[in-house]
Amino acid sequence: MIYCKNCGVELEDNINFCPLCGYPVSYKSNSGLENLKPDRIKKTTLTDFQKLTYSQKLKIFWKIACMIIFSGILVTITINLVGSHAITWAKYVIAVGLMLFINATIISFLYRKLYLLFFLSFLTSAALIFLIDIYTGNTGLVKKLGLPLLLAAYIIVLSFVLVGKNIKRQGLNLIAYSLIACGLLCICVDGIISIYATKSFNVSWSLIVMVSVILISSLLLYADHRLKKTDLKRFFHI
Amino acid sequence: MEISNNNLFWFPLDNAAKIFPAIISDEIPAVFRLTAVLKYPVKIKSLQETALLVEKRFPYYKVQLKEGFFWFYLENLPMHIPIEVDNGTLCKKFSKGEILMRILVAENRISVEFSHILTDGSGGLEFLKTLLIEYSKICGADVSDEFPYIKSGSPISEEEYEDAYLRYFKDDIPPMIKQSKAFHLPYTLNSIPRFEQETCIISFRQIKQVANLKQVSITVYLAAVYLFVLQDIFETLPYSSRFKRRKMLRIQVPVNLRNIFPTMTMRNFSLFVTPGIDLRFGHYTFDEILRYVFHRIRLETEEKLINKNIARNVGGEKKMYIRGIPLFLKSALLRIKFYSLGTRQYSGVISNLGGVKLPSGTGDMIDHFIAISPPPNKMLKINCGIIGFGDKLVLSFGNVTRSKEFENKFKNFLQDQGIYMKMEIKD
Repeated sequence: MIYCKNCGVELEDNINFCPLCGYPVSYKSNSGLENLKPDRIKKTTLTDFQKLTYSQKLKIFWKIACMIIFSGILVTITINLVGSHAITWAKYVIAVGLMLFINATIISFLYRKLYLLFFLSFLTSAALIFLIDIYTGNTGLVKKLGLPLLLAAYIIVLSFVLVGKNIKRQGLNLIAYSLIACGLLCICVDGIISIYATKSFNVSWSLIVMVSVILISSLLLYADHRLKKTDLKRFFHI
Repeated sequence: MEISNNNLFWFPLDNAAKIFPAIISDEIPAVFRLTAVLKYPVKIKSLQETALLVEKRFPYYKVQLKEGFFWFYLENLPMHIPIEVDNGTLCKKFSKGEILMRILVAENRISVEFSHILTDGSGGLEFLKTLLIEYSKICGADVSDEFPYIKSGSPISEEEYEDAYLRYFKDDIPPMIKQSKAFHLPYTLNSIPRFEQETCIISFRQIKQVANLKQVSITVYLAAVYLFVLQDIFETLPYSSRFKRRKMLRIQVPVNLRNIFPTMTMRNFSLFVTPGIDLRFGHYTFDEILRYVFHRIRLETEEKLINKNIARNVGGEKKMYIRGIPLFLKSALLRIKFYSLGTRQYSGVISNLGGVKLPSGTGDMIDHFIAISPPPNKMLKINCGIIGFGDKLVLSFGNVTRSKEFENKFKNFLQDQGIYMKMEIKD
């Protein structure tokens, strides 16, 4: 008779894994209960990666991200230096690389503090577009267009994340909310550009987008509600 | 409401279960465990086959807890009852979207864990008995057809999933008088996870002899030992501590109402009787405590008094203005009521599931049973579950404190009465 060395149950002949705990079967020792010294299941069936906590996994993600970003920056600088003996176009890559590095760091270490995460990420993105603006000759577009658009995008994404986190059952409703967020973003883009171009708040094409988005979202929300198969009698039984 | 394996059936929680969703947490999971310790390692393939067979006979256990607007309710979950490795974690809380029971296996132990929302110890034991008998049959044991148990494949009666409290509720019964607060053990709590369990096996024959000598049942005898130990602990406290603490020692002893009111229900149908002693009247000898417990249990298991108790519990549920309170408010009220009317009035719980009867073919495979009561809360701190099989009566002490004084005094008392403890294992 064969016994699982992990959970101690009796197994059938000719099987490779214990059907209860999934531990590989060893055919070497197959005596009775007294010879069993089960290593506790938790310690053995989990891989090293599975044993890590969420924050430890994020740290690994951060290390890998750092390696990729900095090696990318290094390669770019080298090519740029070899080609033109000065850092010219590579400065864009360096700026974007640094922004990615800061964002990866923020996500890895501040994932529990959502508001702070978004605020710091907004600051880095704003700094990036400022830098790019300076590199391209200080057009002044950042103040008038770049920053308002970036702020609108961040606020809408943050609202969407908050709504998504509070939804009990995520399904079609999440798609509906993301469409509404896109519609809102279109209105913001349309409005901000109109303020920049005509000095007055006019929305035109974005309204059509918003109406279409609301129609589609309503359909999706209705379908989601029907899919729940909620029996009102059981929900409201008194 | 008809139950079949294909329908997404649902039913409201029974009267006793209604309190649990409001108070459940990781430390108070309201989950109990029944374990059968076999003489040989479990044949896992046979057990898996048996579980598939048996779960069809108990569809009302394949349910999850859902939140309604006014009440929680149980809804069928079309999944198999999970069979998991018993890794030593006891009475783990059931998460959302899980079937409210599980089967746990390791080495030569088959355990079932039930949420108290679903059923009580007697209901759970019936399931375990069916599982064990069918398992032994698949393993080749000879089981007589005449042995009474819930056979897999037999028709499911509607009575099995009724709320029997409602059936036996009688209107216009005066409510029970509120009891005074009781003494609670003074020990320091363990750090989380707090729950620890200790098993102690004693000779059924010997304890029966000792109880017979006093002309009481084993439940009465052990409840009296429980109170005697509590009194001993109270009396060894420093004077200042004794002065501050309540002097009423009162314990909860669950009574299986199926023995009094005929029903086939497999859901909760038990009630507590509450023997106690008031230490303001001085020290009690063991024989005095025994008399108090004996008469109190006799009195409280009289049909009329039980009716009064059911009426108190069910009465609130019958009132429309209580039923109409939205669930989130109702849960908050129930939580307060649980501590003020429930736990504060009791010093401990001792729950005896009695002797398990199995056909000889199945019984030959089993060494003993263990009944682990739901982990006690911070106020009660300690409880005791009892179950017997053959000549082995197993006491299982649940404890959330750092002290083992209670268990040690309990065991020492039994040993002083000449009851031999065959072995003691730590789970």
